[in-house]
Order: sequence, then structure tokens, then C-alpha cells
Amino acid sequence: MKIQVTVNGIAYEKDVAEHRTLLHFLRDDLGLTGTKEGCGAGECGACTVYFNGKTVNSCMVLAVEANGGTIETIEGEAQDGVLSRLQDAFDRHHAVQCGFCTAGMIMSARELIHHTPHPTVKEIQDGLEGNFCRCTGYEQIIEAILDATGGYREKEELVYVREQ
Amino acid sequence: MYENNDPKTLTYVGKSALRKDVGDKLTGKAMYVSDMKLPGMLYAQVKKSPHARARIVHIDTAKAEALPGVRAVLTGDDLSYRIGLYIVDKNILAKGEVRHYGEAVAAVAATSLEIARKAVDLIEVEYEVMQPVLNHMDAMKEDAVLVHPDLGSYEYLESSFTPVPNTNIANWTKLRKGDVEKGFKESAYIVEREYDNPSVQHVPMETHVAIVQWGPRDTVTIWTSAQSPFTVRNLFCHTFSLPLGKVRVIVPAVGGGFGGKAGIHLEPLVACLSRKAGGLPVKFQATREEEFSLLPCRSALTYRIKTGVSLEGKILAQKMEMFWDAGAYADYAVNVTRASGYSASGPYEIPNAWVDAYTVYTNKPYGTAYRGFGHVEFHWGVERHMDLIAKIIGIDPLEFRKKNALRPGSITLTGEKITAHTGNVIACMDAVAKSIKYGKLTAAEKRREAETGKKIGKGIALLQKAPAMPSNTATAAVIKMNSDASVTVNIGLTEIGQGSTTALAQIVAERLGFDLDKVYVKLEKDTESDPYDWQTVASKGLLMSGNACILACEDMLRKGYAVASHILKAGVEDLAHDGERIYVKHDEENSISWQKIAVGYAYPDGESIGGPLIGVGSYIAQGLSNLDKQTGQGKPALDWTFGAHGIICEVDPVTGEYAVRKIASAFDVGKVVNPSLLRGQIVGGMLQGLGTAVCEGYIYDEAGHLLNPSFTDNKIPTSRDLPMEIETIAVESSQIDGPYGARGVAEHPMISVAPALGNAIQSAVDADLLHMPIRAEDVWRAMHNHHPIDNWITKTPTGSCRSDPAARRHTPDAAISP
Amino acid sequence: MIHQFSYMAPTELDDLLALLDTTKGGFKLLAGGTDLLVNIRNGLLKPDLVIDVKRIAGAGAITYDVEKGLQLGWATTINDIISSTEIAKHYPLLQACACDLASYQVRNRATVVGNIVNASPCSDMAPALLCLDASILVATATTRKTIPIQKFFTGVKQTVLQPREMVVGITIPSHTKDSKGVYRKLKRIQGHDLGIVGVAVAMVEGRLRIAVSSAAPTPVITDDLPLDVSAPDALYAVERIINPISDIRCTKEYRRFMVSEFTKRLIQEVRA
Ligand code: FES
Ligand code: FES
Repeated sequence: MKIQVTVNGIAYEKDVAEHRTLLHFLRDDLGLTGTKEGCGAGECGACTVYFNGKTVNSCMVLAVEANGGTIETIEGEAQDGVLSRLQDAFDRHHAVQCGFCTAGMIMSARELIHHTPHPTVKEIQDGLEGNFCRCTGYEQIIEAILDATGGYREKEELVYVREQ
Repeated sequence: MYENNDPKTLTYVGKSALRKDVGDKLTGKAMYVSDMKLPGMLYAQVKKSPHARARIVHIDTAKAEALPGVRAVLTGDDLSYRIGLYIVDKNILAKGEVRHYGEAVAAVAATSLEIARKAVDLIEVEYEVMQPVLNHMDAMKEDAVLVHPDLGSYEYLESSFTPVPNTNIANWTKLRKGDVEKGFKESAYIVEREYDNPSVQHVPMETHVAIVQWGPRDTVTIWTSAQSPFTVRNLFCHTFSLPLGKVRVIVPAVGGGFGGKAGIHLEPLVACLSRKAGGLPVKFQATREEEFSLLPCRSALTYRIKTGVSLEGKILAQKMEMFWDAGAYADYAVNVTRASGYSASGPYEIPNAWVDAYTVYTNKPYGTAYRGFGHVEFHWGVERHMDLIAKIIGIDPLEFRKKNALRPGSITLTGEKITAHTGNVIACMDAVAKSIKYGKLTAAEKRREAETGKKIGKGIALLQKAPAMPSNTATAAVIKMNSDASVTVNIGLTEIGQGSTTALAQIVAERLGFDLDKVYVKLEKDTESDPYDWQTVASKGLLMSGNACILACEDMLRKGYAVASHILKAGVEDLAHDGERIYVKHDEENSISWQKIAVGYAYPDGESIGGPLIGVGSYIAQGLSNLDKQTGQGKPALDWTFGAHGIICEVDPVTGEYAVRKIASAFDVGKVVNPSLLRGQIVGGMLQGLGTAVCEGYIYDEAGHLLNPSFTDNKIPTSRDLPMEIETIAVESSQIDGPYGARGVAEHPMISVAPALGNAIQSAVDADLLHMPIRAEDVWRAMHNHHPIDNWITKTPTGSCRSDPAARRHTPDAAISP
Repeated sequence: MIHQFSYMAPTELDDLLALLDTTKGGFKLLAGGTDLLVNIRNGLLKPDLVIDVKRIAGAGAITYDVEKGLQLGWATTINDIISSTEIAKHYPLLQACACDLASYQVRNRATVVGNIVNASPCSDMAPALLCLDASILVATATTRKTIPIQKFFTGVKQTVLQPREMVVGITIPSHTKDSKGVYRKLKRIQGHDLGIVGVAVAMVEGRLRIAVSSAAPTPVITDDLPLDVSAPDALYAVERIINPISDIRCTKEYRRFMVSEFTKRLIQEVRA
């Protein structure tokens, strides 16, 4: 089936098999491999993208469903090579380790900030619940989002116990 | 390698420098093997066994071969290679017999993933199902079904392992120190009990994936999501009898490893498919479900500890028996057994010790390395046991630990003497105890209990771990100066998210005195262009590669000084340098910039000297020795990292539901190189440990089918599962041979989270827990003295998770005498 | 995904219903896809045709009327429920259940209708809909009927729906509006998980009702109980309707215990 979609502001017209997921369409047909597959079953959030203004697990959306729609992915997050506020905060707070969850995490964080501009820690935890991260333990991701939304209070990373 | 690590004089070491590897990860540009596509690339799929143990009667691949788009089909009969890290016991594809649910029996490469999947569906396999042996304790019995009847004929690493032919014992590690029987006789108390944990999955967010191209003249290129490119190359070449120079292993960005990607996994199979398909590149990526059963997991453990204690609370003797469930293949499990064997007591001095640690084959997906390398599992037993003993002899659990903890002068199980520079476990314990106000409830906590009806408990657990590695483990670093006076560092250590790249760049910048922005570290690893590194495992990276980097810096400086000494007409001992130039100490105007000598210096008349400045540093573990096979004595540990967790937990005394209110974690890291990186390792490891403490675990039916091979029923912690409060504490007692005094800490945060939680829950509601994970139902059962659910192998395929309590082989109750 | 199918997305409800009537071969309706696409991926369903129901104007509408109550479209998502101020005001139990369903991005896609048509014993929306006397609007090309939700589920993953029937909406009557209700779900982790058991207690027109999920082949509800029902009587009423099994998530003993414990606690909460 022929579909028209706008991805990160670029219009595409593509022939796509009905059973192709949006995730594979983005990764394989458009070469936008920033969006990852962690489970293919709607559980891990690695494939989270914006679809018509809402976050979805793109592994659980058919590409044909996106016909006429608008998609935004991690590749559209930085503008003119300048990191977004969120990306910059993720960098400063060490919110990225292996990086495999990062694209989905940033999409979910953006959606959270969109409907809750100044989230509490609890609201951030709730908003990211669908995005697994096996590396960071989430703490520094939460801090990055707090920072990007003006709610972060500077604190010591560690308590030190040194030899006398 | 620390001459000076005074924070006041350090520029980069000790500071939270930004990560060197995240630029591309933040924008989606970082290239993982999952993202790669090569011209002409084929896609592979495997046919997997639905049975735990069966004879393969016949495989019919005709229909699959006839499917348009299929380029290669392989079965076990086509391949005559066996692989194995320490015991060569695994066929690339099952041959004659399948030994676990999910084992690969046939494989296909086709022009698209869909065709490959269809082809796999078309392969027909006739099995004769056989009775599996599933429980590792059953597998120890004399009349047990043998998973590997031919064990006696397998090739294995004889210096370290002892398989027992005609049994299911893949390895038997022994350790004997002092005289345990005498120790028990002198003891006032003897406390014996058994502790369990099930198999769990690493769950890297990127599943295993490899692309292999078997090119002309047997030159093979492998792109793989792996932790240890050189190990992949070595084992690959060993398997296929290829010279090392013909095989190139490339590791781009890796989406998490945690030990699951340490060895060699998909690469040989994918290589065989590529060769069969005429040399086209072939890609295979495991699905999440395959990650759970085709690829390895962490071994289950049953740990029996018998401890003799004096009236005053000194441990006099301890007998430790470990039964490690290898699953169908030995892989790393034999080495987990070995490393756990020599560390089995945790951070305590045991004057008379006896360890028998067995690796036991069963018909289940096999075990491999997992963050902590056995220490997460056995510390569950050790640290629950320490609380139990303290309770029985009536002394404070911390006091009891303190009496027996390793301290300078103590002798470890293997006979190594602890010094002031080994690290300080008591300082870690005291720090977390203080942080959680151990031993009492605060007024606010009491008020909270009254208001909520919940019970608050506090628990502590200590831990230790040294890298488990061969005595000749080595690594190297090459530092190349670019003509703009920046440097590029090549090391074989992979960046799997742990952040070594950044820490090593800081060490290089510090040692060279260069701007950190001028230090680049090559991220992608390539066995053809990067210097050798044994493996990215064991928390050895910072110490060993850090030292190699320091040596390489010194080499480069030396070479730079030699050139400058000519140009400046001064002795090298009269020279000094900064980030810009080398100058004469007593005549600072007389200098030459790094830029001018970076790739060779040309005098005004055109005559030239020097050449590209390249520093090389090699580092090999020093002073280690193999362990005596009968007594386990020797020196296996490069460095010990000690630590402790303290947990405040709130438990519903009726339902057993609980929440972690606070966790404090302290590690003696020697020297903090980067606080943010360290905190990332601590919190990430802690939560991974909490996952295995709270909910993770493989569940099988009685036929050996894995019942929870996906995220639906194999949950991992989410952002909502973080403890309410987290405190991370760094103790710094310098490691003399560590870079700036640092030692490794990547695995340690995951260790001992579970026992700290178990101890906290027990202190809240007196639920005596013996197995991980601790589900609400387990707490409920323990509180009400109901039989524990032992549901790791269940009665019925469709559901019941209750097995007959009488089926438990050993009474887990504490036996106390006199 | 390996299984191939064709895809249609009608833009008029009549066309859609006509398509259901005439299409040959197996078909499945696609709303949020959070169950359907997982099942196709896992090879459990192999439809020839997938019919997208979301392209029809008003598919996701939420309308509230003091007299007629609440009307949900066949593609109203779980997050639509959560963000509706009217539902927050008049049907808080519906929101309480919605908030506990899966993760945020799944809730952006998952629909209320999908959650009940799927008829999982662990449906999160069913307890609320049962308590609130919801009725299911079912249509074919030629017929329309209304089925009370109490009669909708017939077994594990089974409903009264006939092959060519489609749920075209859910009505929640005005007499259950402004009912106080609370929901509690036992999970293995704090994050998104299927319920091990779920209990909803609602106070409707001065009487109590208790709905339970994951403890019987279908979600179930008690008869109405007096507001001051004693704990033993309430537990007896619940005991009679549940029939829990042991599975890999939990044993039936614990399920039974937790249902009764949640019931006791929620009754107190709802009375408070
Ligand atoms: S890949 Fe889509 S949710 Fe995991
Ligand atoms: S950074 Fe590795 S999964 Fe999140």
C-alpha cells in the first residue's frame, strides 16, 4: 500500500507492506535507525516515537496506520545540530550509558513535559514507566528531566569517606 | 600507579567530566550492530527445540531449501565444530540430541527476515522426547540422567577446572584451609542452612546480534554486539582452525552487556551460514524471547553453609557447599563456580574453611557470566546467614560482622594477606549504617508506623569481589599524537555503557597535562587496529587499562622529550611540559610546541627529526598465581573491592507487600575518578540487583519449558521501582597499583542488595526468607510460616506454580547445637 | 511481522459494518493494536484482513450528558479517559482503573473497548465498567443492540460477541454518576504489569458493589450489598464469585487472600 507520511518535517511517499510495523518502516525503509527495538512487543519503550502528537510504541503500530500522519523521532530532536534542552540535560547528568533506551526515553520525556511542564519526581517516574533502562537505574535520567524543566536542585553526587 | 592523588593537585581525576561517548547516542546517530545493513546482506533465523531433552530423529529441510530467497540452510549434521570457553562441550547446532528448551537445531539465511522466518517454519524436526533432568540437586544424584555422557572425552582447561566424568559435574572446585572439623569441635554454636536463587536474565536492551562475512581465502569479518572482541577472535579461530590474522572482529556501540555478551555466542553459527551462502554477509539478531532461552542466562544456585562460632562471636570454622546450575553447557558457569569458590565466605576471615563448589549440568538454558560473576547469588546466602547467626547467638548483626570482617592482617580463604591498601569493608558498613540510622527507628519512623499500620525494618549486607581472571590477564594502550597536538587513544576495552572511555580519557588528560577536550578515545573496537585486551569483564577495565594508559602517556612524553631535547639543546632532565609545549625548566622561553613535534619536527632548513609521537603502554596482572586444585590456595585476586548496602524497608504486616524507602550503598573504590560515572554505576547496578531481589527469575514447567521468556512475565524494574531515597557513598583507601589509586566497581553495586532487603524485611516483620527473589507472596508465606513456594520448576505446564513442599530435597531449617 | 494480511480503513461506520458483513476470510478489527498486533507477532492470530476502525469521525468521542450519562466511542483510548475532566468529575472509578493500565505510551493507543473485547480475566477497565453498570453497544450492518456488561463476558478471552458484530460504543448510565469508587491492583513491580488480582469497590446509590479481576475466568462483580455490610458478609459475597487459579504469577491461596484483604481495605476507604 502506498502511504504518505511526514517524518521530522520531511514528506515521504512510500510503498509499504500492510504488515510492516511503523518501527521497521522507520528503521529499514527510511534508514532512521535512532529508534530502537528492545522487545517488539509493546513492553520496553525503546521504540517510542511521536505519532500525530502522541507517543506510541512504534513496534505496535502498523506503518499503514500512519498514512497521512506526522511522525517525530530522535533524529528530529536536535535542531540545526544544536542539542535540545532535554538532550543537553541528559548529557550533563550522565543520563546515558549504553544509549539503547535513550531515544525512547527522550521521546517520553518530551511528551511528559508537554503535558506537565514542571513535573515532580513522582510525575517523571510515572511518565517514564513504559521505558526500560537496564543501565542507569533511572536516577540520573530523572535528574536530567528535572533540570530541563527548572526543578533541579544542585547536590553532591557522592558522600566521601577518605583515609585520615 | 599512584604517586599523588591529592584532590587539590588533580585537574581531571576526581571530577565529573562529561561522557565521551554520548554525543551520537543522544541524537540517534550512534551505530549499533542492530542498526547496520551491509550490501547484499542476508538475514538469519534459527529453528529452536521445543523440548528440554530429546533425540533428534530426523530433520527435513527440503521445503525450506526450496523457498525462493533462501540462500543457506544448516543443521547440526552439516557442522563438525564444537565450541566452549573452558570446556569444549557445545555444538554450534544441536547434533543428535537437544539439551535445553530453545536450543538451536537448524538455521537459515535468506534475502529477507520474513523469508528466513518462513523457511524456519518449513523445517520439520522429528524428536524422540526424553526425560530431562531439571533440578540441579536432582542432577547430583547417582542415578541421574547424564546431560553429557561423553564429558570424559571433552577438551577442557586443565589448569583451572575439574570435570567429573560419568556424572553431571562439569567442574568441582575445592578449597581447604586449616582444619574445619577441629574448628567445629571448638565452636559454641553451629549454624547450618541452605539458600537458593533461580536463574535470571541479563536483559541488555540491545539483544545479541552479529553480522559475519566469510570472505575469500577464509578472511572473516565479524561485527558483533559483544564485550570482548579479542576473546571472540581467539575462540572463533580456535574453533575453525584459522590463523588469528585472518579474522577481524569489530565492535561498534553496544546496547548493554552485563556479562551476557562476554564470551562467544552467535558468531560461529552466523559465520557458517555466511560461508554456506557463498560469502555474503549474514545478520542474526535474537528476538527478546530468544534472548531468554537461545542465549544464556545466569546460573541458579543452592548454597549450603555450616558455620561454627565461638561464644564471643568469632567464626571458627565454615563449611560451604555450592551447587551451581550450569544448564546444558558449561560456558562461564564453571568459572563462576571457581571464582565464587575462592570468595565464598564474603568479606570475612574464616580460619578453618572447606569449600566444595560444583557446576552441575541440567537440561535447561545454560548459564554464563553476569555482573557480579556469582557473587550476587552467593552473597544472598552469606549475608542472610550472618544475620541468622547474630540472631541465634544474640549479638548485634553489625557487631558480629565487625568481629569477623577482613581487616589488615587477615588471611583470605586462598591464603592472601589483607593490607591497609586492600580496602576497608568496615568503613563501608559504618557509612551505610550511619546513613540509614541502623539499629533503631527514628521518632518519625515510629510515627509513620503508627499512622500507616506498616512495619519499618532496616537491614545491612556487606560484599566483596575481585576480578575473576587468568593470572596472565593483560591489556595495552596506544596513544597517538595528532598534528594539532590532540591525542587519540586506542584500547581494546569496549564501551558497553560502563563509562570507561571517559574515565580513561580523564586519566590520560591528567597524566599528560593536556586539555581533556584534546583527548579522543576511539569508540569502535577492531581487533585489526586496536591493541589487545583480554576481555571487558570482571571490573578490571579501569585498573588495568588505566595503568596501560598511564604507561602509554609516559612513553609518549619520553619520546616527545627526546625530540625536544635535540631541538632545545637541553638534557631531557631539564625539560618540563604543559598542554601546549615542552620547555626548558630554567629558561622557559626556550620551548617547542607539541604541534611542531607531533608528527615529526622540521628545522628551518628543512632537515627533520622525530616522527609521529606514539606512546605504547602494556600492563599485565602482577603477582597472581593459579590455585592449587586440592586446596584452593594461591593468589587469584588482582584487587578486592569491598562494599555494603543498607536498606530501610516498609512492609505490610498482613499482606507481605513492601516498599524500599531508602538504600545507602558504599564502596571502597580506592579513588573516585569521576563521581557522576561512579554514581551511574552504583545506582544502575543497585537497581539491577533490586530487580533480581524483588521479582526476576526463570520459571519452568516439569517438562523443562521456560514459562516466562518475555517481559510479560519476566519483569525488570521500571522508573517507578526506584527506592524512594538513594545515597551513594565512596570510601577511598588507595589501591597502590591502581591508576591514581583507583580500583574497579562496575559489578559490585549489584551484589548484596537482595540480602540487605531480606535482612530489612526480617527485621520489620520477622519473615525468614531463604530464597530470592522476594515476592510479596514469599513474605506473606514466611510471616505465616506457610511452606515457601518453590516454583522455579512447576508441576503443570499450564499454570500451577505450587509444588509439593515435601519435594524440597533439603530441610532448610536452621540446625542449632548445642 | 511475518504474517501477511491486507488492511482497510473505512471512513464511515456504515461502510465498516457493511464490510464486516460481506468480507470473506478471517478478519480482525484494529483499534489500539496493543493486543492484536502482539498476538499477530506471536503467531497466535493470523487474520487475512485487518480493519482499522479509527479513521471514522467520532470513533474516539467522549460525550457526557447529565441525563444520558457517559458515552464512549469504540476507539476512545485509555489516556482519553484519564484526561477527560468530565470523567474525573463524575466517574472517578473509571479513571482510577485507567491509570493502572499498562504504560503511558500504551495508554495512548489502547482503547477501552479493546480492553473489554479482549476479555482477559485481568482486564483493568472491566471492574470499573461492571461497578458502573456500563452497557455495550453492539452493531452489525443491520442490527443494533445493547448488552449489559454483566452479561458480556462468557469465559477466558470469550464474550457474547458474534463474528460479524462490532462494539460501537459503551454507555455508562447517569444513575451511576458521581459514585465514589476505588481500585487496587496487586502487581509484581511498581511499574506497569498485568494484575495478579484487582479489586474495585464502588458506592452506587447508597449500596456497595465489589468487582474483581484476575481471580476468575472473567472479571466478576458481587450483587449489591448494603452500605454498612459487615466485613464477613462482604467477604462471603466476594468468595462466592471468585475462583482463582495458581499460575506463574501467584498461587490461588494468595490470590484469594489478597482479594479479601483488598476488599476489606477498600470498603473502609470508600466509606471514609
Ligand atoms: S520495541 Fe517496542 S516496546 Fe519494546
Ligand atoms: S542507557 Fe542502557 S538501557 Fe538505558
